[in-house]
Amino acid sequence: MAQLLTPRLLLALERLELMAARRAHGTARGERSSRARGQSVEFADYRNYVHGDDFRHIDWNLYGRLEKLFLKLYEEERELPVRLFLDASESMSFGQPSKFDFARQVAAAIGHVALCGFDRVEVAVFPQGETGPAERAARAHLRRVRGRKSATPFFANLASLQPGGAVNLNAALQRAALESRGTGLAVVLGDFLDPSGYESGLGALVARGLQVVVIQVLAPEEIAPDFFGDLRLVDSETGAIQEVTFGKYRLKAYGAALAGFVSGLREFCTRRGIRFFSVSSATALEPFLLKDLRQGEVWR
Amino acid sequence: MNFLAPLAFAFAATIPVVILFYLLKRRRTVRLVASTVLWQRFLGETEASAPFQKLRRNWLLVLQLLLLALAILALARPYFSGTQKPSDLRVLILDASASMQATDVGPSRFAEAQAQALKWVEALSGRDQMVVILAGAEAQVKQSATSDKASLRRALNACAPTDAPTRLAPALRMGEGLVRDRPAAEIHLFSDGAAPGLEEFENKALPLVYHRIGVSGENLGIVAMDLRANPDQPRRRQVYAAIANSGTNPHPARVEFRLDDLLLETRSITIEGGETARLLFELNQTKEGVASVRIDGKDALEADNQASIISTMPRPVRTLLVTRGNRFLEKALAAVPNLELNVASRLDDSATVYDVVVLDDFVPVSWPKANLLSIHAFNTNWATGWRTLEQPAITDWRASHPLLRYVSLDNVQVRESVAVTPPGWAVSLVDSPQASLMFAGQARSQKVIWIGFDLLESNWPLRLSFPIFIANAMEWLDPANEQSRMFMKTGEPFRLRVPGPVTGATMLLPDGTTRRLETSPGQTELVFGDTFARGLYRCTAGTNRISFCVNLLDPLESRIAPREELRFSKRAGVVASGTQSTHQEFWRWFAAIGFIVLLWEWWYYHRRSA
Repeated sequence: MAQLLTPRLLLALERLELMAARRAHGTARGERSSRARGQSVEFADYRNYVHGDDFRHIDWNLYGRLEKLFLKLYEEERELPVRLFLDASESMSFGQPSKFDFARQVAAAIGHVALCGFDRVEVAVFPQGETGPAERAARAHLRRVRGRKSATPFFANLASLQPGGAVNLNAALQRAALESRGTGLAVVLGDFLDPSGYESGLGALVARGLQVVVIQVLAPEEIAPDFFGDLRLVDSETGAIQEVTFGKYRLKAYGAALAGFVSGLREFCTRRGIRFFSVSSATALEPFLLKDLRQGEVWR
Repeated sequence: MNFLAPLAFAFAATIPVVILFYLLKRRRTVRLVASTVLWQRFLGETEASAPFQKLRRNWLLVLQLLLLALAILALARPYFSGTQKPSDLRVLILDASASMQATDVGPSRFAEAQAQALKWVEALSGRDQMVVILAGAEAQVKQSATSDKASLRRALNACAPTDAPTRLAPALRMGEGLVRDRPAAEIHLFSDGAAPGLEEFENKALPLVYHRIGVSGENLGIVAMDLRANPDQPRRRQVYAAIANSGTNPHPARVEFRLDDLLLETRSITIEGGETARLLFELNQTKEGVASVRIDGKDALEADNQASIISTMPRPVRTLLVTRGNRFLEKALAAVPNLELNVASRLDDSATVYDVVVLDDFVPVSWPKANLLSIHAFNTNWATGWRTLEQPAITDWRASHPLLRYVSLDNVQVRESVAVTPPGWAVSLVDSPQASLMFAGQARSQKVIWIGFDLLESNWPLRLSFPIFIANAMEWLDPANEQSRMFMKTGEPFRLRVPGPVTGATMLLPDGTTRRLETSPGQTELVFGDTFARGLYRCTAGTNRISFCVNLLDPLESRIAPREELRFSKRAGVVASGTQSTHQEFWRWFAAIGFIVLLWEWWYYHRRSA
């Protein structure tokens, strides 16, 4: 993939800022307010001087009035860890353009916004199956990206990913939740068409205290199938076979089934405070990023 | 509901085959999809909401089984049994007379008869047989005994009505021969019942079912027509026509009288129900032509609304008198108008050009072929029992015969006469107690008047009745007089005497077709029998051209009211059957529904997989 995002879109994204619902819990310094005390211009509190404290932080005006040594404490500005969970299973390779292409474009955009905001970006790609050395290296680099300068290799590494293999979404998300240290923003990108469901995985992320955003990407052929007749459908991941006789007259029923599935996912997310977006891979990228995600308060 | 072909249910054996095909795996298109999750969900939802989940999956099978069942039912030919008796042979007789052209039932009585007969054909079951006989002017077997419905239908559809009067007897005779010794056989007659001459069937107990066709009797028809020359003015003609109203209501009519296409006269008349109006038209003739009387307007029967007659120009009768001298006779003949008289003392070969030959006390070597008045000349071929009577007394004479019109033989005495027993072809005109003194008749094509006594040996030439008789005789013998009424009723054969042998003749029929008449060498008379259509016929035989008119002129046919009973005689008859209904086959309905199911199946198949 030559270019994930156009320069014009990159410029527009640079003006955006990810909205964090909670205070940052990162360890590294950043631009987000946190409960930690440290060096910044934001005054937070006073405390008694103890031996060994830096003289530079003593409030001399207070000492003049009270003849007691107090130390001025400032809020430490920390980074916001932004975790991107990217479904790279075989099912994501379907659609025109493919669901995976769309998903990583969205991932690239969110990562770019985070990097521009001096936030840490962690990309977890699953399944973690058999991959070549180049892709393994790319995945390793994507695990922790920081700083604006890393944007270019970040895009290159994203672009080098190839979808393939089967994934158990629940297991993958639960494991990612265990691995993530501290809170932060978690963006899950995938089609959520997993036979075993998505509930426990997403639940684990929420339980970890992460602020979760779910972006479901569906292929146009999944929204409105264009193949009819007596069909033997083979699942690309599990190899499961489903025989179905489908005709144009049943499109409506199929649409209802799809809407039921999507609304089930939406309801699950809403109940847990997860921001949910469902989008076709054929959707124009720019309006989705600049309008829908903005309205969805992912960024501002 | 019964079945005409229950063997067709053997086709039900194909039903398991269809089911077997369904049990075999259907060939499906393999397609790789991202995930089957959505499809499982879709199938789960749609099938859970259907009450007949198993059936719904196989609607196509249900449709195909339904289609098959309908096809088998149609093949088994179901029918609702009517009230008809079982019969292994039915003889269908269609009345093709002129009255069957009546349009009181649409489109015509004959079409209605055909339709009813076709119903019987449709109801023909199994190996039962039918015969189709068309009873026109002559009976024709249109289809001999068969079980093949297509042939029967074809035969029925090929039947057409004629303009001829009803002659059912030959057809019934034919039918009787067919059903003889077959107790289950029936004769079905489709007719309006106007059929005379069925007395022979009075005691035959025919298994006859009479289907009455027609509803109304309202009709005006020309039932008689004639043309006469005015005796005083040879160029003036009188045309007589009788128009009968066979209905019960008074009927106004406009009657047109034409010569060829020229309208000469129109009369408006009103004829009371059941009455006959007699009309006389005067015709001042300057050329030969077809005089026709026509009832203008539309009524139930068109065939009797026009009658035509050929009116020829008066032509002098070429007469040869062979005599040794008889002034009385010569004067009497000379007084006959329009007569070209030649007198000779002996008969030679030129006699063939004469229309009438009068032999006065002269026995020729070879007898002439022309019409003959033979006075005191004997031909032994004619009769037997020749004997001579002295002063025979005239005891009786046939005053009703046209020859003796206005002739009284009261005071006629004869000195001596040859008497004879009249031959079969002649009638005796003047009788003495012992034998006939005078007879007249037609021997083959020759008209003959024979007088047994010498006129000069009687006082008859001195009586007033003599010239009247001679005038009558000349009129009777005039062959042109006979031919001037060249018109006949439909179905009657046409006979034409030609002076010399003809090698062939053609006949132009009213419908414009030409018919060639086969003649044998030396034949001097043409006979043409196919006069079943009314109208003008033109015959060309060598140099002879002759036209004649054929008309219906049948009061019985014009009286179109359908008869409730087909009468054989005063005591016997067959009442019209109103209730007997045929079997009603309805396989066509099954076939039609099957076709709809087929379309439905086709649509469904494409809908579900397109």
